[in-house]
Amino acid sequence: MREKFISSLKNFWPEFHKHKQNVHLDFFYTFKDYWHLWTMSIFILAVTALIPLCIVTLIHYQLIQKSVDSELNLRTERLTSNAKRSIAFFMEERLNALIFTVDEMGYEQLIDNKKLAEILKNLKHGFGGLSDLSVIDTDGNQVAYAGSFNLEGKNYKDQPWFAQGLKNKYFISEVFTGYRDVPHIIISVRSIRPDGSIFILRATLDTERLMQTLASYKTGEYADIFLVNNKGVLQTPSVHYGDIFTRTDLKIFNYSIRTEVSMATCQGVPVILGHSFISTDTVITPFILVVSKKKVDMMYAWLELRQNINWAVGISILLIVLVITLASTFMINKLYRVDKEKAETMLQMEQNQQLASIGQLAAGVAHEINNPLALINQTAGYVKDLFSFEEKAINDAEIVENIDSILDAVDRCATITQQLLGFVRQFDIKIKKINLRKLVNDVLSFYKKEAEYRGISVTVDIPDSVPEMKTDKGKLQQILVNLINNAFQAVDEGCCVDIIGSRIDAKTIELVIQDTGCGIPEESLVKIHEPFFSTKQEKMGTGLGLSITYGLVKKLGGNISVQSTEGVGTSFTLTLPVKIQEEELA
Amino acid sequence: MKVILVDDEQKFINMLAKRLAFRGIQADTVFSGEDAIQKIQHSDYDVAVLDIKMPGISGLELKKKLSSLAPELKFIFVTGHGAKNTLENDLIKKDIFLSKPLNIDTLIKIINEITKK
Repeated sequence: MREKFISSLKNFWPEFHKHKQNVHLDFFYTFKDYWHLWTMSIFILAVTALIPLCIVTLIHYQLIQKSVDSELNLRTERLTSNAKRSIAFFMEERLNALIFTVDEMGYEQLIDNKKLAEILKNLKHGFGGLSDLSVIDTDGNQVAYAGSFNLEGKNYKDQPWFAQGLKNKYFISEVFTGYRDVPHIIISVRSIRPDGSIFILRATLDTERLMQTLASYKTGEYADIFLVNNKGVLQTPSVHYGDIFTRTDLKIFNYSIRTEVSMATCQGVPVILGHSFISTDTVITPFILVVSKKKVDMMYAWLELRQNINWAVGISILLIVLVITLASTFMINKLYRVDKEKAETMLQMEQNQQLASIGQLAAGVAHEINNPLALINQTAGYVKDLFSFEEKAINDAEIVENIDSILDAVDRCATITQQLLGFVRQFDIKIKKINLRKLVNDVLSFYKKEAEYRGISVTVDIPDSVPEMKTDKGKLQQILVNLINNAFQAVDEGCCVDIIGSRIDAKTIELVIQDTGCGIPEESLVKIHEPFFSTKQEKMGTGLGLSITYGLVKKLGGNISVQSTEGVGTSFTLTLPVKIQEEELA
Repeated sequence: MKVILVDDEQKFINMLAKRLAFRGIQADTVFSGEDAIQKIQHSDYDVAVLDIKMPGISGLELKKKLSSLAPELKFIFVTGHGAKNTLENDLIKKDIFLSKPLNIDTLIKIINEITKK
């Protein structure tokens, strides 16, 4: 059970890393570089799997970012609008109270200090936030005054608000300190006396109530809510921008009735800025309400969510890469094993084919040897007969001649045996100097008898211009045996087999083996070098001869091509390098 | 008794002829099928010893031709191919074949047997 588990684990561990180089075997592998195949497989699979994941994650990020942004904008806008409405109402309420007072009381009653004090008391009671009241004539003289500051008899002709108060029927000033040295706002109403001259009823708003109102809208610790004038000077204290009357770097907003939200930076930190001009139906105030929210603080929830998403995506990526790596290793391992088996089978086949060639050769050799042996047998028998029938002397010339004949026959046997032995020995890779004509003739000597018997005319035309080759003799010999054997099987009696060699250039030799035999049908021609393709009847051929010949030619760094016309003949054209490179053989 | 030996291995049949002569059998030698056809038209033979594998006319073909010329002629085949099985299919069963190298006593025994009938 445990061993089974361990062996199944091995499927996921790259087996090809332990691949041992074997020059004979490596040639038959379909894929040479399994490392490369493995890394490419992982890379391609990972890229195809991870790219969509990353794209979807990014799109998701953007969508969330967008919705968070719009949510923040909406919230800021709502807050700004609400606060603005409240502040506008605050101003409007007090302005309307003053308008009512002026219309109801008239100039004569207003300039009565006692009366004015009573009005102030009532206004304070009813609305609050008002600190004093005064009546000022056209020349800026304070005609009447009610309030806690001792400002009776002051002249306001040179005060900037006074000119504005004369010019506009209703007027609300910026926050300023004025004579009393306390930040305040002036609300003034211009009116006409019965005699036609102009007077102003002025009320002072302390900013305390205003700030309280603003503070009531401050939601959470991240929001900052304050008023500025149209020159960017703070009208109420701000958490982010500083104390009252500080000049801020806020860009001066263009007038708009609507609440607007924009992005800005405050001390290098991104903020959402909502602003709205405060105006009532009757008067436009110099105030702009600003709500500033630090984005980072507000996006805390989103950042936390993003961190979670990042974790999830990260773990997914790790998992995908792990699965892909394991799956690739598994698949490539399988492929490697199959390829290894195939290579081993192919090598085995090549060796079998070599053995088959030897067998074929041996049969030929046996036949060749039998003839000289028969002769030895008869000659020796004859010598024996001479002694037994004629009792001739030992120095008889005929005996000597016959002994020579025996020796000659023995020589013939020796030659054939040597050729056979030489053939077997050359299965090891051995690069040797080779005379092509001699090699062809050596191989043909095995077919001499068959050619004579079947009346096949064999011509060899290899001129002296064909240089000596340096190549693997054994392989070249086997190629020749296979091709000549093939030609002999294709031809009928009286046909020709021609072997023509020529020098193509300094590095290449061409050898054509052509026959006037039956030829190869066109449909078979394309399959001819596939393993196991055979037109021979069952059990007559393995279908490996030409396939292996093709492999051997490739091993020698050469090429082989075939032309054939059915009924006319076939020619195999071999091109071989004059000098083989050692590494090509390996 | 006259025997004709047909084989392209000249030394072999010359030697065989001489040895047969020692044993009282007259043997003529020819080195090809064509020569054998020529020869048989001029003299009578009792037995023909034929090599199967020869250039030109093979032993089996030669037998057909010689039979038509001399119907009484008996045949013995000799072959360098050791494998008898492959030949059996092709040969008519009553034919006799011997494999090289052959034993002269066996040959004489067979010649005597077939000529007795």
